[in-house]
Amino acid sequence: MSALTTELPVDPETTTASSSPERVHLVPAELDAIYEEHSRPIYYLALRMLGDPTQAEDATHDVFLKAYRKLGEFKGNSSIRTWLYRITINHCQNLLQTWHRRHIHGTDDESVWERAAGNTDSPLRALETKELGQRIQTTLDALPEEYRLLLLLVADEKLSYEEVGGLTGQTSDAVRGKLHRARKAFAAIFNQTACPPPRSPP
Amino acid sequence: MKHHNSRLNSEGQEQTSSLQNNTEHQSAVEFATAEEMLRHDAEQTAVPPAVADRLQRSVELEPKPTRSWWQRLFGGV
Repeated sequence: MSALTTELPVDPETTTASSSPERVHLVPAELDAIYEEHSRPIYYLALRMLGDPTQAEDATHDVFLKAYRKLGEFKGNSSIRTWLYRITINHCQNLLQTWHRRHIHGTDDESVWERAAGNTDSPLRALETKELGQRIQTTLDALPEEYRLLLLLVADEKLSYEEVGGLTGQTSDAVRGKLHRARKAFAAIFNQTACPPPRSPP
Repeated sequence: MKHHNSRLNSEGQEQTSSLQNNTEHQSAVEFATAEEMLRHDAEQTAVPPAVADRLQRSVELEPKPTRSWWQRLFGGV
């Protein structure tokens, strides 16, 4: 796939096709291979950022179509996955801003979670059902966008802290520091989303 | 992530996750960290097949790559 050895644009969302000196298209087989390898993490990121499966489908389609159109702007300074993540993050953030959904993202006041948490150091338990996905979504929606994105990216084992830092506009040391607080915030909120045990009859 | 081979809890201690059955014989799963839970969730989340079909149709509608003047002149690829 020699066509993929060009330079990563700083922001593919703000670069127009006309500014590209040469428009390079993926051949279908190349697109198929990229889609096969990366569509799951891209769809999952979109799903958890947007919180809606239908919108996540649309976003995944749009991200790969953009990648198809903008391959000529990809300069290989990062991995394909990191480039796709960049497009996904920008795309989803634009959608979220358009939909004025920022108000549901909760509070940045960490003391809220500190007070709410019974014990955030305990393991996170959940029944292995669809309920888990719903609880995860509820928890992520309540987190600040920065923490939500950080956790979602760090969960991808193929990304390094440096790459996560590059995608979130901070150093790898900052990623490590914020990750600790993001974990605590997630655990505090997640444990609050647990369904109460069934009440025994008096 | 590669640097998460050891699973850390929020105090930085190693902690292994384990699958457990509860008293109601329902499968329950336990995670040491949020990202471990998200990783599991991602593995369970499949991309709807309709996305690939729709993408293929969209790509077929895309304009063909244009050849620059020097490619036309010299017959380059």
